[in-house]
Amino acid sequence: MNYHFDFDVLLPGQYRDWLLDGLWTTLQLSGVSLVFALLLAIIVAVMRMSPLKTLRAISASYVEFVRNTPLLVQMLFWYFGASQLFSDSAAQWLYAHNYEFVAAAFALVFYTAAFMAEDIRSGFRAIPREQMEAARASGLSFLQSVRFVVLPQAMRVSVPPLISQALNLIKNSSLAMAIGVAELTYQARQIESYTFKSFEAFAAATVLYLVISLIVTAAGHLYATRARGRIYA
Amino acid sequence: MPSFASLFAVVLSLVATLAASPANADLLQDVKARGELAVGVKDSTPPFGFIRENDRSIVGYDIDIAAAIAKALGVKLKTVPVTSATRIPELMQGRIDLIAATMTHTHEREQQIAFSYTYFVTGQKILVKRSSGVTQLAQLAGKRLSSVRGSTSEQNIKAAVPSATVLAFNDYPSAFLALTQGKVAAMTTDETILLALKNKAPKPDDYMLLEQYVSSEPYGLGMRKGEDAFRAEVNRILVELERSGAAAKTFEIWFGPKSDVPLKRTFKIENDKI
Repeated sequence: MNYHFDFDVLLPGQYRDWLLDGLWTTLQLSGVSLVFALLLAIIVAVMRMSPLKTLRAISASYVEFVRNTPLLVQMLFWYFGASQLFSDSAAQWLYAHNYEFVAAAFALVFYTAAFMAEDIRSGFRAIPREQMEAARASGLSFLQSVRFVVLPQAMRVSVPPLISQALNLIKNSSLAMAIGVAELTYQARQIESYTFKSFEAFAAATVLYLVISLIVTAAGHLYATRARGRIYA
Repeated sequence: MPSFASLFAVVLSLVATLAASPANADLLQDVKARGELAVGVKDSTPPFGFIRENDRSIVGYDIDIAAAIAKALGVKLKTVPVTSATRIPELMQGRIDLIAATMTHTHEREQQIAFSYTYFVTGQKILVKRSSGVTQLAQLAGKRLSSVRGSTSEQNIKAAVPSATVLAFNDYPSAFLALTQGKVAAMTTDETILLALKNKAPKPDDYMLLEQYVSSEPYGLGMRKGEDAFRAEVNRILVELERSGAAAKTFEIWFGPKSDVPLKRTFKIENDKI
């Protein structure tokens, strides 16, 4: 092996700044996508158990459609495809305002929400039907029963699988480099192409992904310990 | 077993022979006496040097330039196929007198060999939509450009227009699509690649290349160092080809509007500045 390891490229300076910029973009992209994906997932999951057949069908089709299409294809669709539908002025405005990031976030939200909706649905199913029936019998509407009785418990049950979806989301955000979002993997590749230090650049990116993921896992674990005993299933 | 002294003598005489052979006479007179100019050319790099299918002969822009020099010297042209890796060693070993093989004139190579005046310029260019009104590199300040990840193009444009944002895509078609859809103001990479993308577009006339180069690759003819009379004569002939219009005519043949790679001639053969 005649590769010469040189971790100096990661010392303070231009390349480290790129890496930190990339890390920040990854955190922003994952954070924004996580919040909206969770909201969308809850809506989709509630629709899935609604008394209305149409809503259930829409929700089920959405989940199946999105889960069975590659994320990269969806990303390219939002970036190169969907933008064709905008009016010229809207497109110009968007292109001037970091449309890469917006398109990547859209793709991540729609993709992740489908998986999260399924996890939340399993959470709902873990709560005995009788609670729903009792809530409805006590005079609460369907939405009220969901909001005050079933959802809070279902969310707690769903935390472990949701954590793993959040981890997937963070890792999937690296695909955004295909549409020019300068996130962590993109920057690692930039450093590689400028310095030819592939090992060092990707090792640094790997460590950073690992650190973010471990923090998220730890937070989930902490929640799970504290929430124990608060589920009345 | 030979004695150390005799071995030393043999080595010494070998070194003396090697050192003496290329420098024993003036190359210019040598070539004229021989009646033949040996030129190292590419044989698989159209349109600079490649084998023509119908008669299996080596033709191209480089060959035409070499032939014009041989003709002006009053000698026959002998083409010797070389590759990028072999052209300088072949020259140093004296198997060829001149390199005409798409060789970029660089400061690194100047350490080893001498260069003629620049006889061709290619390089990195900018492709824009004709409707954008951009005609100068400077107009791209603060704008977004697409390029391809890992290419030197990206580094060059950042040096040329520091305020421009470069969006690096995974491949050339994606970078071009971003330009087509107006997501970026321009795309930058090697001129020949841009031309190919432009020509394949549904409406090639909607796009245009800026005339300015982001970085340029001047091609020079390579010669051994120290052959000043030969180099002066080659440069004199090149300048004469430029003056008479013969050089422009050769360019027209290989890069004219009817050729496979229509380029605009933005250079003149006049110096060896890089």
